[in-house]
Amino acid sequence: MWQQVELALSQSAHRALVTLANFLPGLLALLLAVLILTAIGALLAALLKRLLTAIRFDERLSKNSLVPLDWAPSHGPTLLVARAVFWANVVLGFLIGISAFDAAYAGNSQMSFFLLPYLTHSVGAILLFLLGTLLARFLARTVLIEAVNARLQYARFLSVGVKWLVLVLTAATVLDHLEIGGTVVDLAFGILFGGIVLTLSLAIGLGSRDMVSRSLEKTVETEMLPPDPAYKTQTTETLRHF
Amino acid sequence: MASSPTNTATSHPETGSSTSTEVLIHLNAVSPELLEPTLSNLAAAFAGYPALVAIPETAAPNHTRNIDSLRVLPFTPAATSTVNWVHTAGDYLTVYKLLQEQNVGSCLMLGPESHTMQPESIRRLAEATLATSSTDLAVAHYHPGAHEGLVNSGILYPLSRALYCAQPRFPLAIDLGISIRMAERLATAAQRFTAVNQEDALLWPVSEAAMAGFSITEVDVPSRTAPQPANLDLNALLGQILGSLFFDIDARASFWQRLRTTIPPRTVLAGPEQCEQVDVAPMLDAFHLAYSNLHEIWALVLPPHTLLGLKRLSVMPRDAFRLADSLWARIIYDFVLAYRLRTINRGHLLGALTPLYLAWLASHLLLVQSGVPPEQHIEELAQAFEVDKPYLVSRWRWPDRFNP
Repeated sequence: MWQQVELALSQSAHRALVTLANFLPGLLALLLAVLILTAIGALLAALLKRLLTAIRFDERLSKNSLVPLDWAPSHGPTLLVARAVFWANVVLGFLIGISAFDAAYAGNSQMSFFLLPYLTHSVGAILLFLLGTLLARFLARTVLIEAVNARLQYARFLSVGVKWLVLVLTAATVLDHLEIGGTVVDLAFGILFGGIVLTLSLAIGLGSRDMVSRSLEKTVETEMLPPDPAYKTQTTETLRHF
Repeated sequence: MASSPTNTATSHPETGSSTSTEVLIHLNAVSPELLEPTLSNLAAAFAGYPALVAIPETAAPNHTRNIDSLRVLPFTPAATSTVNWVHTAGDYLTVYKLLQEQNVGSCLMLGPESHTMQPESIRRLAEATLATSSTDLAVAHYHPGAHEGLVNSGILYPLSRALYCAQPRFPLAIDLGISIRMAERLATAAQRFTAVNQEDALLWPVSEAAMAGFSITEVDVPSRTAPQPANLDLNALLGQILGSLFFDIDARASFWQRLRTTIPPRTVLAGPEQCEQVDVAPMLDAFHLAYSNLHEIWALVLPPHTLLGLKRLSVMPRDAFRLADSLWARIIYDFVLAYRLRTINRGHLLGALTPLYLAWLASHLLLVQSGVPPEQHIEELAQAFEVDKPYLVSRWRWPDRFNP
């Protein structure tokens, strides 16, 4: 019996080593393809940047265009072209690497069946995460500035609430995209999202109570009070900004 | 002017084309009910002198009746504009087309409610840019009250004067006299915007004229009702006007960096006038609220020294609240730089400036209420902008240099 256990273990170890031996060349090919194409991309981008700077590409473009072009100094057309070339090479490296990785396996391989879709989903998830984070920061700042200019005392609270709403939504989307968590993610997302919305609603409702009552008072006073010139003078805006 | 020769042709030194000495008057967004008083006012201003009055067809669909020496010329605007309290790119393009079609040498662009201007003021404005005159741009110089034209006083005028070394007190004046070559230059600039359907974009005639080396003059307009924008949301209006100004400054950087001359200060004749007291508490509240919430956004734009100044300002008692002119100049310059460098989203940047503007406004109003003539303070502010211009030039060229 002991011999059978030993045989089963050695066969299992052998299978694992064979799988690893099959897996490593594919992974190495993927890494090599990405590294080589990244290096080529960096080289091409540097050359292109030098060439475009030498021929004053930015100046020519802004002079010859009918439409006013509005570039930040750190994001000029030259830099944009160079970066586009670099990232195109990186993406090409990934594509070549993934196809090499795929080719390293037989069609019926379990590893290939699970790993390849997961790899492509991971790229999508990373992009979703980056976009979500950027959007959350942008919306949080927009809400903060608008709320401050509207003189809302709870501006920061509102801004943080919006930020977390977007971040929770992003996290749920990313996990769903990676097919992690299943229904737990849906449930947790529903609870968190609903909780934040409810908190914000309560905060705004309670915080704006004074504002609403003032607004209502003003409406009632305007309707009820007789026209009094002195009253009007007090309430008229006397400043002209333009 | 009545004795001036009428309809005689004159050759322009640059274009060489023969143009009439007749004046074209472009009425921007005149409302139908104000058309009659406006035309009567113009008739009084141009008594005996021939003038063409261009009126949008929407204001006077069937109005072709000539009044005295005025010939009414209805025209179809290129596009219906939503901005009618200031001249836009579409207006400048229309004016140049009309000048070419009618073969006229100069144009008088009058903003809404021009019937409130004195006829003498209109005539002086027209005389300044007649084809026989050497002036290319005549800008109206209004005399607003202590509580009027505040954005112009606090930002537009000091910036325009410091950067372009241009005298006009109202760089965004709505009553202008322009020569044919000035109109051509403005139309070229306007075309860049209208080509991308931005007919409502604002143009800055003073900086355009300064860059072209054209002669600029100011014409006194003692009384005039200033039209107010339909949308009175300060945040949106500041974003629109300052966004356009900062864009213009960015586009003309190579020009204004070379200018070193300073404008001699104006003599403020009027003594301290008694003005209505304004409650500055809401403005100070807005600033304090912004200080506690927007500090991290300001920290992306402003250097530590300026932030320290704001910190001191935030703890100042109401009666002693005073935003130093040098600090205000530095704040505006840093916002111009951040606009250029896109440190943060441009909409956010201009939104974050609104509470700081309110702080400056509160400080200015408190100063005026203490007896300082408003014009004197504005002149001192303009000089502070001029003195600090090397800072802007330096940081524009080397934005990454250490800046405490």
